[in-house]
This record gives sequence, structure tokens and C-alpha cells, in this order.
Amino acid sequence: MNRDGHMTRLTFSLDVSRCSGCMACVVACMDQNDPPEGILGFRSVERIEMGAYPHVRISFVSISCFNCENPPCIMVCPTGAIRRSGNNGIVQTVTDLCIGCHACLMACPFGSPVFGGAGTMTKCNSCEERVDQGLEPACVRVCPTRALRFGPAARAALETPGETG
Amino acid sequence: MPTKPILSPINVLKGKIPDEKSGIEVRKTICSICNPISHCGIDAYVKDGVVIKVEGTRENPHNAGTLCSKGAANRQYIYHPDRIMTPLIKKGDRNSGQFEPISWEEALDIIGERLLRMRDESGPESVVFYAGFPKWMRPFLKRLAHSFGSPNYCSESSTCSAGALLASKLNYGAAARPELPKCRCLLVWSTNPFYSNTSAVRKLLDVMEKGIKVIEVGPLITPLTSHADIHLRIRPGTSGALALGMACVIIEEGLHDQEFVEKWTVGFDEYRAYTGEFTLARTSEITGVPSDLIVKAARLYATTKPAGVLNGPNATVHHTNGVQNHRAITALIGLTGNFDREGGNYLVPPSYLYVVNGLTTRQQAFEQSRPWDEMPPRVGEDLYPVWCRLIPEAQAIHLPFQIRSGKPYPIRAVMGFGMNHRMWPGSDHMRESLKMLDFLVDVDLFMTDTARLADLVLPACTSFERSELKFYPEQHVIWTGPVIEPLGESRPDADIIFDMAARLAPEDPLLKKGYKECVDWILKPTGLKVDDLKRYPSGYTLKDIPMPPYRKYEGRGFDTPSGKMEFTSTVLEEAGIDPLPRFKEPGLSPWSTPEVAGEFPLILTTGARLPIYVHSRTFRLPWIRRLRPDPMVDMNPVDAQHRDLSPGDWVELSTQRGKVRVRANLTEIVPPGTVNIFHNYPGADINKLIEPDYLDPISGYPGFKSLLCEIRKAS
Repeated sequence: MNRDGHMTRLTFSLDVSRCSGCMACVVACMDQNDPPEGILGFRSVERIEMGAYPHVRISFVSISCFNCENPPCIMVCPTGAIRRSGNNGIVQTVTDLCIGCHACLMACPFGSPVFGGAGTMTKCNSCEERVDQGLEPACVRVCPTRALRFGPAARAALETPGETG
Repeated sequence: MPTKPILSPINVLKGKIPDEKSGIEVRKTICSICNPISHCGIDAYVKDGVVIKVEGTRENPHNAGTLCSKGAANRQYIYHPDRIMTPLIKKGDRNSGQFEPISWEEALDIIGERLLRMRDESGPESVVFYAGFPKWMRPFLKRLAHSFGSPNYCSESSTCSAGALLASKLNYGAAARPELPKCRCLLVWSTNPFYSNTSAVRKLLDVMEKGIKVIEVGPLITPLTSHADIHLRIRPGTSGALALGMACVIIEEGLHDQEFVEKWTVGFDEYRAYTGEFTLARTSEITGVPSDLIVKAARLYATTKPAGVLNGPNATVHHTNGVQNHRAITALIGLTGNFDREGGNYLVPPSYLYVVNGLTTRQQAFEQSRPWDEMPPRVGEDLYPVWCRLIPEAQAIHLPFQIRSGKPYPIRAVMGFGMNHRMWPGSDHMRESLKMLDFLVDVDLFMTDTARLADLVLPACTSFERSELKFYPEQHVIWTGPVIEPLGESRPDADIIFDMAARLAPEDPLLKKGYKECVDWILKPTGLKVDDLKRYPSGYTLKDIPMPPYRKYEGRGFDTPSGKMEFTSTVLEEAGIDPLPRFKEPGLSPWSTPEVAGEFPLILTTGARLPIYVHSRTFRLPWIRRLRPDPMVDMNPVDAQHRDLSPGDWVELSTQRGKVRVRANLTEIVPPGTVNIFHNYPGADINKLIEPDYLDPISGYPGFKSLLCEIRKAS
């Protein structure tokens, strides 16, 4: 909670100009979360190509759950299996309540929900256990260009990425 | 007070939080999956003697807490089921690929006995010592080879950065790197540090965001391209022509450093006359780069002082005219007066294992335990005398030819560390050559296709399981300790080398003292000692290291025969080679071999890095492999359309030498007419499609980056 008693929403920010598509975030997510068979982890990197030779621009985006302000997945979930956690607004799944209907995946603009062998939804939880200890998510820690950041949503939009300690 | 989350109670082990409750301890080591310029600091999260997570070491100034995708996958590297657990000896037929375990003592005794017998029968030069990746054991292996009496220590450097070093030595007597962040303009020539040297790009991006001018040269679009002011998309293999064309603009417009050129160079008149042949129209026609961009780049580089040239370790020299092309590129540094100047290409000799940081060690003196003139000629010395004059090792690319010919003397045994026959052009030719040896030993982590050819296979361990010395460019130094016990009976390469030395060179006064004492000997000029470094588990950042002055040539000249920068190389002239940095078309190109291009119209360039792979080293890791499961060729959508191909189609990529089956990755990363493929795929080995003698005549380097192919939809 912040001083006004409102929930401080934590989210990821990405400086697309610094993202090189190196996939370190994708693999660090696997190393942190040990994804079960059939799941590639909770983060993906996409290459976006615009134009054609000789006028081309190629960029990369690293995507996972952004803990949306008004998460469409929560709105569409028929069983209430997706909720926000109390102290930091991280969007969470209650696996026991999930019926595997995929409605969340249809609603999510980032394609974040993944469905493993059991058929139930699982997704990035922003490494909540680490965040609770004051650590950054594994994908943010690993990012070799400092393109990926994590923090309060209001600050994320303003923050200048780049060299930090 | 923050409230605890209600939905998922903290599961300390799930979050892998290191503390007493979880029993997870953080131990410090380094990653050695990629090249020694990187080797990032690692925080290994260890529970019950097992690594359960890795993270970059925050206090290591090189990676500052970050890692690349390969480094993040270290757990699957360490604990891969293909790890070799015991020494193994070939069972039954040599070609069976079947092994049985053997004890270390037996294995080392067999090696000692066989190699000593060969030395008696055929001379020490009949035994070759080879080092692949990683490079940490090289000083010890090279010393062992020479103390044994063999001149034939060779390494993966026979296709790596030594070719560019050779070219720079011909011009300047040394290679100098751009002094970032002081450069105001950076000419980046055919390198993608985002994928090959990931730990360095954080700082490069910071510099670029402050407004440094960037000119990128290279056929491919890289993550650097969007930051570059100018991108010159050359046809592969035409670097030399572009550099000469740029020089022509610079000289004609009087933008060169006339004082430096007059006082400190030889051969300028011949060079100037030769660059005159590279008019804008001709240079543009050869390279495919529009004339206006060539002029713009030449002016920007020549007039923005200081400016640095950043080249890759080998993309410019993996051509059949590689050394001369690279000489033409680096000639621009002296031409514009940027050699050994502040913020230009600053000359600092490497300290230890290729790292430049101002320190001086005795690595070279340690390695060369016997002078060259007391040993027979090296493998490749007759064909590549310039290589052997300037690079202190044998030319490994020539090895299969000498194994087959027995000329000028027979090669009977190879003692390889991390050897991969797929490094060689015509990799099947190398593979068959290795089978002709009397004795092949491979030391490796995994049972690789090359290890399967060996008579004896010895299990090495990873950087997490050993102790080693590591310098960083940031003047940081670390002596690592093992963070876990070696798996099975695997051992550090250095321990294996010192045990071999006890059998093969027992009289060597340094090797018989042991590993740590040898490292102390190498370190002596630095004042550092292994025992002192042990007190700093995550390493120690040295303070006040005096850096060498700029313009050192003013005091002692250049380390070339003339004592000056050589536009016309004395060493090449003495070897009967054209002393000018003359441009030649690639051995296979639409211009040099139009008859071949009729059937194989696409330009094939191979081996550019992907972020998740470094050579063959991470192919087998499931986390990594899932990100790109099939071998793929990058192809422009225009070329795909002409061949009726859709994204992801299986295609047949063929050259005159053979074909591989891969998938089409349709992308603007490559320009129309050029296709690009990663090397070393076990099921689609592109080096099989390149002739074993498709080589640069000066360095012996393979022309991996410019040849011809065709692509068709696979049936």
C-alpha cells in the first residue's frame, strides 16, 4: 500500500530501443521457475520487422504478464480463479479454481496465460516471492541491456532505463 | 507494515530465496560457456551441493548482475545427461563408438606410454596438442606441448580472432581496440556484440545514448542497426573494396592525417595510387552500397575525432581474401591518425587470456617453454609462413591435410581438449582424417560426435567445479573456487594437463611444481598471488593500474620490420605475397565464378551468432533448444517468393559440395540475394558444404562467410 492507502501496482516496463532480443529473460525465467514439461516458461520475446529492403526496421519486445490496471483476465474468468494479491497488486492464479476454459488467454492482450499438461492456467507471477524479499524478478535481474525494468506502474512509465548499480 | 500476500503464501524454496530457512547458499564463480572476453561473474544458488539457480554477480563490474541466455542456462549445461562421468576407453572396433570405463590412473598411463613411444619412433612433432573451447587451459597445454618437444600446439584460434590479429600485425605490429567511451565516432565493422559479447553492450548502449556517431558495416541487420547513423550493407566478402573506396574518398578530399602519414607510414604512395582504382562507382558496384552512403560514412569517420574501429573477432577474415580485406579496413585507422590516440584505437597489450586491462603477466614467457628454432616446423608452416611468423601456434586448419599426406612429416596422435571436427570446413574431411590417426584422445564435458571418434575420452568439468584465474577489462580479477563437487569422476582440464605433464615432461621445472604455483609464476609482474585472491570470492577490483601512454610509436616506433605503419607490408613482400591490401573477390561469388552462380545464385554467409548459441556449446540444452528447435536459414522474403516458399518451410540448401535440410526463416535480417545460416548444427552441418581447401592463402582461415548456394523446397 502507498501512503494514501491505495494499492501500489507493480509492473514491468521495457525500453524497446535497448531490447536486443537476446532471450536472457526467457531463459532466466525458466531457471527461476523450473517450468514443468510442456511449458516454455512465462516470458517470450518477439521479433517485429517493419518495411522491406532497403528500408527496414527490426525491433524486439519481451512480453509477460504486465499486471494490468484493469486485468481483462480477471474480468472474464468464470470461476474467480484470477485475483490480485494484497500488497503489491500482482495478478495471481488460484490453480484449484481454474477449470481450464482458456477465456483468460482469449482476453489477454499479451498472450500471457499458459496451459500446461494438467490443463489449468499458469502464468508469470512477477517472481512474487523474490519481490516480497526486495529482489527484482529474475528476468529483470538478468537483462544485459537493462531494457527490462520492474516497479510501481506510475514510475515505470517515467523511468529512464540505462545503467544502474 | 506490508501485509503478506493472501493468495500464495511465501514459499521460500519456490522463490529460491537464499537464507537459513531455505538452506540455499549463494556461492561465487564464473560462467565459461562463451568467450574469455566475457565469462561473466556468477552467483550460484546452491542447496545440498546442487546448483538450483544462477544469477549474475552484481559486484562483478563486467556483468554487474546480468547474464546472457546461455549463462542463464548454466544448470542444464552442468547437469546435462550427456556429461561424461568417468574416463572411457574404446571398446572393440575403433569405429564402434562403444566405450568402457577405465580408471584415471590407467587412462593417464596409457596416454603417457603411447605418446612417449611415438616421440621415440616418429619425433615429438608427430603428436599434436589441440585446445578448443573454453580457453582457460591453453597456457598450460601449450607449455606441455613444447616441453614434450612438439611445436604442434594449435587451437580454435586457427579460425577465431588470430586472423584479424595477424592482419593488424602486418599493418601496425599489433592490434588496437577502440577506447570506449572516449570515442566520438565508432565504425563497427561486421560484428554484433549484442549476441557475441553480450556483457559489454550495456555500456555500449549508454555511450550511444549520449550521442556517439555510429557507422555499421555488414550485410545483416543486427540489434545495433537501429542505433547506427549509417548502415553500409555490403555484399559478403567485399569489406576490402569498401575500405579502399572509403580511403579513396578520404584521400581525395584531403581528410587523412597528413602529418602521421608522412612521418609514421611506409608505402603511402602505392596505397594512394591503388585506392584511386576504387572510385565511387566501382566501389558501389562491387559492394552493393549506394555511393552517397560511402561518401557520407568516409567523411563522418574521417572528420569526427577521435574515432574508433570496432571489428568482430573473425567475420572480416572468414573469407578467401580475409587478411588483405582486414588490412584494408584497419589501414583506415592510421590513415585518419586514430591509431594509439586517446579515444581512437588505443594500443594496450593483453594481460592474460586475451583480456586487455593494463596489467602485464608472464603468460607468453610461460607458454613458450622451448624456442621455435629448437623445434621442427609447425603444422602448416610451409603453406602459411606469415601465420607462423606472427602467430605463436600451429595452423590447425591444415591438420587434416597433413594427417593425410604425412608431409613434411607424419602426424600420429592428437591430444584434444574440447575438440569439434565441425569447426573445420569440409568437416567430414576432418572427421575422416581423425580416424586415420594412430591415437586420438579427447577431453570433453559431453560425449560429442568428435569424442566418439577418440580412443580415449577423459571427462572434464565445468567452471562451477574448478578453480581458475580470470581477468576482466574492468581491471577486476577473480580466482574462483569450486561451488560444487565435480560430477562423477570429472576433473578440471588443468589437473589433467598437470598429471599428463608428470608423465610426458617430468623434467619441466615449472609444470612439476603444480597448477597454482604456475599461475603464481605467470602473475608475478602484477604482484598478485593466488592465495591473496582467494580472500575475495567474488573477485577484486584493482585500483590505480597505470595505463600505457598514447602514441607509444613516437618513442619506440611500430613493431613492424620498418618500424612504421606499413601500407605496404614488408612481411608479405618477403613471403612473396602482394604487399598492398589488395581486394580480391571471394573464391566463390557471382563475379568470380559466374558459371557456378548460374546454378547456385544465392550468396551464402555462415556462422553469424545467434543469441542463444555459441558454436555447438548450447545445442543440447533443452531450455535453449526449445527456443529454436530446428536448424534454420535466414532468407529474404523476396528470395522466398521467387522459390514459392512460405515461412517455416523445410528447404534443401545446397552448394557444389552437398546439401542440408533446414527450415526457411523469412526475415529482413538478410538482404535479398544473401542467405545466412548458423554453423555446427549436428543434423545440418553447413561446414560439410564448404570445401576443406576454401581458405585464405595468408592465414589459412576458411571462407565461411562468402560462398554460393541455392535453396529449394524440400520434397
